[in-house]
Amino acid sequence: MQPSGATDVRVQMRPGYTLSDRAVGLLFIAPFVTAALFFMVYPIAEAVRMAFYSYNPLRPELSSFVGIANFEFIFRDPLFWDSLRQATIWTFLSIVFQTVFGVGIALLLHQALPGIAIFRGLLLFPYIVPTVVIALIWRWIFNPEIGVVNYALQSVGLIGEPIYWLSTPSMAMASTIMLNVWKYTPFVVICVLARLQTVPLELYDAAKVDGAGIVRRFLDVTLPQLKEVLIVVIVFRTIWTFNKFEEIYLLTKGGPGTSTFNLAVYSFEQSIANLRLGVGAATGVVMMVMLSLGSIIYLRVSGFGEDEKAS
Amino acid sequence: MTSKHTRQVSGLSIGRRQLLTGVAAAGAAASTGLTGAFAQSAKTGTVRVWGEPGPYGGVAVAAMNEWAQKNAPGLKFEIESIPWDGVYVKLMTDLAAKRPPSLISVESPIAMQLMAEGLLTPVDDLVDKIGRNRLVDGVKWEYWGAWKGKQYIVPAHHQPHLLLVRMDIAKELGLKDPDTWDWNDLLNAAKTITQKKPDMAGMCMALGRNLCTDYHFAALLHSAGGKMFDAANKFEVAFDSPQTVEALTFVKELQPYMPKGAVEYSFLQVVDAHVTGRTAMSFYWGRTLGRAAEEAKPVFEATEAFNHAAHPTTKRRSNWNDFQGWCIPAQNNPFIDEVRQALVYQQTSKDWLIKYCHSLMPNVAPTYKDVADAPELKEHAFYKSKPRTVDTYFKTSLANSSSTANELLQGVNPLAGIVHGRSVLAQTVQKVVIDNMKPQDAAKWGAKELSDIRRENMRLLG
Repeated sequence: MQPSGATDVRVQMRPGYTLSDRAVGLLFIAPFVTAALFFMVYPIAEAVRMAFYSYNPLRPELSSFVGIANFEFIFRDPLFWDSLRQATIWTFLSIVFQTVFGVGIALLLHQALPGIAIFRGLLLFPYIVPTVVIALIWRWIFNPEIGVVNYALQSVGLIGEPIYWLSTPSMAMASTIMLNVWKYTPFVVICVLARLQTVPLELYDAAKVDGAGIVRRFLDVTLPQLKEVLIVVIVFRTIWTFNKFEEIYLLTKGGPGTSTFNLAVYSFEQSIANLRLGVGAATGVVMMVMLSLGSIIYLRVSGFGEDEKAS
Repeated sequence: MTSKHTRQVSGLSIGRRQLLTGVAAAGAAASTGLTGAFAQSAKTGTVRVWGEPGPYGGVAVAAMNEWAQKNAPGLKFEIESIPWDGVYVKLMTDLAAKRPPSLISVESPIAMQLMAEGLLTPVDDLVDKIGRNRLVDGVKWEYWGAWKGKQYIVPAHHQPHLLLVRMDIAKELGLKDPDTWDWNDLLNAAKTITQKKPDMAGMCMALGRNLCTDYHFAALLHSAGGKMFDAANKFEVAFDSPQTVEALTFVKELQPYMPKGAVEYSFLQVVDAHVTGRTAMSFYWGRTLGRAAEEAKPVFEATEAFNHAAHPTTKRRSNWNDFQGWCIPAQNNPFIDEVRQALVYQQTSKDWLIKYCHSLMPNVAPTYKDVADAPELKEHAFYKSKPRTVDTYFKTSLANSSSTANELLQGVNPLAGIVHGRSVLAQTVQKVVIDNMKPQDAAKWGAKELSDIRRENMRLLG
């Protein structure tokens, strides 16, 4: 081995053959880059390319360049705008409830109580069960005639008539949001709980000394400490929720009518049911642009990372 | 729906495995004289066969495996059941991925789309071997799928949906014979039942955004004399019509007497509603009776099937008849020759075809006269206990046959598969029953969707 220095670390593979730090770094990152190129960059590039083509999967030989016609199609389609509006409602309400419940549950689980680890473990259950299983279970839970939700509500006298959870547009949207909140709140809890455990206790002690009550301590100590993690969680959850396909499709197939269509379901319907793969791809491109711009604006407005820059 | 492991065959409750074993043995005798005519195949592997949910696909494949044992010992036919609402997506994605099954039993609208796309193998020579004169009265080979003078589909069965009525309820409430009803009588009956029988809907049909709703509504549309496309006029769209408005209005009038959840119902839920006694009447194929026989004997015993209520002015009683057939993908299919031979083997065995029909009575009706008239076919508990209902499914309904793939039997329509893939009819219905759109506006919306389909797929029309 050659002696290694701070500026010139070299790895000797065998006598007379060494690699620089840079080369070793590239070597380590190569598998990921290769996989990312193949599984991420290429599909995105192909989707962007296809967005400018008319492509019927049954007759690929008839594929032709159509310019921006696919984008014109979706911007003229009222269902696209309905899907965008519904996707926004679904995403916004899902994220609000996930964040509120996530922070609340994390605060509860942050208490040092006997057996709290069991509750923390149980909390992960919705997150680790496959979506297809959950969606099918929830279809039964929401069944108007034999579902447990209606049974419970009727048993305690909250409702007289069964609620048709998945058969009326407003309730179907509410049901999909409930499913999404139930499944993904644990993700918020995990992130927030991890951050809570690193908040210095001295901050709370100082606030108590200054006379701050429990609400004031939450607003002035806990929340600022959670700010960075919540920004990241909200960005990720927004992207993931906005793109969500399987929960809505498995629970309502976008129905009743098209009342729970989001852009992912719209894209699927255009691609597979309508055999307009170009239109489906164009929808995906529009989603990608919207989410990218939205994320950048949100991160800028929320001041994410400014503390690090300042230091 | 098909998860039950027992089926009623000839009045006996037996396991599916037993059924298939027994069927294989029964068919063996009949096949002995046929096998010698086929060439031997040295190919090995699994021949994938797609069919809709139900035991009959398995029976057909058992027959094909019997052929394989003698003529292609390295091959094994395997059935893959594809749920109805998933068939279009599954089929299109597998064809696009260049891994189609070697043989497909599929509903005629989709089969005809594939046929017009040039994705299927012609089967005229197979028809000659099967027997061109064998078809039951009232049908033609083209109903299953012929295009530009060539036959592409071999009949599997025909399968009309009819009006199922709980006769115990009808008698209790003094309703007249459903066989004499027109639309007004049906509406009044649904209303009477809903008002007088708590916890029971008067009527049930699918209103969800799915294939079942497409089919149920199409029957009403055709009864009213309406249609989606005009086969006689280069398939110009004919949907924006008073007949469509009338059919949509009728659905809207029936809706208060249906289960509230009907707006999301598809095939399974309509069967469930009838079998569990939540509705006294429903539109459905024969499967409901098979299911009721297994799970709800009183419902089975009280239920009879009728040709649909007649339209008050046209007097039509159109059903949506699934002229379901076997089609052979032409591309990326390594077993075309073997599948053709196995198919002829199965189709020329009367015993196998009877077993096919018996496997879920009275859901799949025989397509050949020798099978339909065979005394053995009537050796089934359903036929003995409900001869009129079974005959309505098997025979008398044929006079009222229609299909989206052959509207009012006026011409094969290769666009219907795409219409169903996009659930255009179901969406049109939902515009009325969920969004409260005026039927006139919904008809215009549907017509525009159909126009888009026609414009985008002119190549299929030649």
